[in-house]
Amino acid sequence: MSNVEYSDPRPARVGFDEWMELFDRVPDELIERYHYYGNGEAWSKYLFPPQTFAIYGMRHLRRLKFDNSLAALRMWGFVQNETERLFRARQTGRRVIATMGDLGAVPVIVNSFPHCVAFYPDCIWWTPFAMESRVLFDAAAELGVGDATCFSRAALGAFSKHSYFPNPDLVIASTGASCDDYSGVEQLVESLAPDMLWVEEPMRCDARPARPLEQLLVKEYERVVERMEKLTGHSITEDELREGVRRANRVRKLVARLRELSFRDAALAALEMMVVEFGSLHYYSDMDEWTAALEHLLATAEGRAARSERVLPEDALRVVWVTPPADPLFLTYVEDAGARVVGTEYVINQALEMMDESKPPLAAIAESFMAASLIGTSKARAQSVIQQARRYEAEGVIISGILGGSHCAMEGRLIADYVKAELDLPVLEFDVTSPSREVSRQIGTRIDAFLEVLRSRR
Amino acid sequence: MKDLLTPRERFGLLVIDEPQDRVPVFPLITAHAARTAGISVRDYYTDGAAMARSQLVAQESYGIDFISFFSEVGLVAEALGSQFDYPEDDLPLLARPRWASIPDLGHDPNSPAESGHVPRLADPLRDGRLRVYLDAVAYAYEARGDTVPILAYVPAPFTTAQQLVDQEAFLLGLLTEPERVKGLLAYATRSIVRFCRAIVGAGGLPILVDPLASGSVISAEHYREFALPSEAEVIRFLHRYDLDVVLHICGDTRATIGMMAETGADLLSIDRIEMADVVAGAGQACRIIGNYDTSAILLADPPTVEAAVAEMVVAGRKCPRGFVAATGCEVPVETPPENVRAFVRAARQAGRNLDYGRRRN
Repeated sequence: MSNVEYSDPRPARVGFDEWMELFDRVPDELIERYHYYGNGEAWSKYLFPPQTFAIYGMRHLRRLKFDNSLAALRMWGFVQNETERLFRARQTGRRVIATMGDLGAVPVIVNSFPHCVAFYPDCIWWTPFAMESRVLFDAAAELGVGDATCFSRAALGAFSKHSYFPNPDLVIASTGASCDDYSGVEQLVESLAPDMLWVEEPMRCDARPARPLEQLLVKEYERVVERMEKLTGHSITEDELREGVRRANRVRKLVARLRELSFRDAALAALEMMVVEFGSLHYYSDMDEWTAALEHLLATAEGRAARSERVLPEDALRVVWVTPPADPLFLTYVEDAGARVVGTEYVINQALEMMDESKPPLAAIAESFMAASLIGTSKARAQSVIQQARRYEAEGVIISGILGGSHCAMEGRLIADYVKAELDLPVLEFDVTSPSREVSRQIGTRIDAFLEVLRSRR
Repeated sequence: MKDLLTPRERFGLLVIDEPQDRVPVFPLITAHAARTAGISVRDYYTDGAAMARSQLVAQESYGIDFISFFSEVGLVAEALGSQFDYPEDDLPLLARPRWASIPDLGHDPNSPAESGHVPRLADPLRDGRLRVYLDAVAYAYEARGDTVPILAYVPAPFTTAQQLVDQEAFLLGLLTEPERVKGLLAYATRSIVRFCRAIVGAGGLPILVDPLASGSVISAEHYREFALPSEAEVIRFLHRYDLDVVLHICGDTRATIGMMAETGADLLSIDRIEMADVVAGAGQACRIIGNYDTSAILLADPPTVEAAVAEMVVAGRKCPRGFVAATGCEVPVETPPENVRAFVRAARQAGRNLDYGRRRN
């Protein structure tokens, strides 16, 4: 495969302009090498630098810092062209299925069907921040969902525009013990997407046995299978579903290893790791290529760990991050200020948990989903934070809430209280505000002061 | 009627072969923007912030789908040493080309600059008015880059070369000194690639403009031998970034339209050529941008403009890869604003896609 000469520079986080310099060194043969959907067409290439996507409106890329490896460039290129990929999926005869709300489970089923691509419109919540734009929020507001709702309302704006993804063949919306703001968004999406299947998510509760809840979920997943069979005309076999679970587990295993290398050894920075973790939701609409991109990234990270090379300083302050920041610039900011992320509770635990391949596939998916952060208590989320903080000797916890996200308003303080009580660690809570070019002065000052406190405790 | 999509969303769909809510509308407003903003033309092309502000005003007040920076085709030649006069309220004029005759710059575009035989390449941050463009792109990108594509016209090597050498000597050289011409083109190409790279870094999408390679100026054979290879080289560079490249050649391109598609351009901006010829020659390979008569937009009355533009948009539907309603060349500086508004109104109305957003399963 490799007669092409390219070697990564020493690991570092680099800015927009530096990536352009690095891209000058990337041989054309490498750009030609990577294609999505296993397709040889020119449109399926994706090894392009941040400049490409900035020109098409992703203005925030100019302010972030990126890992300087070829594997990271590949990852970013792949992730950034997902909108085009979804349209190309439709153009090449694939079924495009929007899955909403459950963040990780239903795509395992959908992707088990041949020529089907699952994606989460939920992830559009990053787009207004990446573009530094209110366009999608304004579109959502015109449909009745304004600033008092979580940033996930951007998905509603995207549905109304038909330009961020093709009209889905089917929308599978999960609701129940889930984000209430997003359930509201899903209800409004129904008027824009006539073919919609609702899936009930049970609430996990210590007082209730898990088994009946898993059985409920299996029943729900059977409805998903039935609906997918009707849509595709394909009668799926248990072996195909098993293979779907196995492939999803492959991704989850890669992600688990990357988390360990990054949290323990600083092999990758927080921004790349957030992208990696969220890749377990729907594999950025091409499971095989995403898996290959992760393997590339893992090889890079393993190599760094073996050579004791780190992308962030060894003495960086260690923090656990709770709730994904809708604005990725916060991760860059915190790392620039001398910290690194050694644990995350991004509300997607269900997409990271391994599935038991010895069980019937739908039962395995259901069992894994029961670990979801979304459907449990704040205390359970706090326990996950505490566990990671202990494991990687975190010195503090950062909880980034979502302005307008109602569960964040309730949960942040509770999680903070649990963490303080159990670990005696400082906790910083703040809300990510609307899309902006920079971290607001006020929040920036609070982050700086928080990190100063951590430093003083050493 | 309020648009559903932003210009950027619309353009994004066009370049991935998806239908849009309506045809993108792009009267090629360049220095005319100075009039819209009430500043002198000289201020427009010598001050990046002024250039950007003018374009922002024009884009918003006319409701067009692109911001496009351009003053004149000598931009890169000036950065390479040609001298231009700057009239108070008109575009720069070539006062003295860098060379009176075609210099011998060698044949290998990659070696001579270092060997001392070839003058240095243009520095986009320092030479001529290249920086003006970069400042304008950066300003407009920060102001409206989320919603509107920011384009910057870059004179192609063939056109640039004609601004570096006495024009008569250059055209004669196509016949008598073809290798020297190619050496000069290679030299110009390297500077143009540098400039394109800087535009990309600033957030702009370069448009390659080669008016002096038009069929109104040179033969099809000369286009193939001289202009096409250097256009293709710049386009190859831009494709490294996966950018959708527009090649604009105004004038008569009937004899070269097929070759224009061979450059690898993704969109062709055309002028004096029938739509049927465009579709036959390049329609399967490229999206088409064109081609309302710029004399008409200057001189006709609004109802005439409106009727002709509507007719053009209907003809443009025959372009299989998509169509942008544009003028064939720059909107003249003195064009009455009501004519531009008539153009935009007609293109929006005739170009509306009533099926947009409907399921296509």
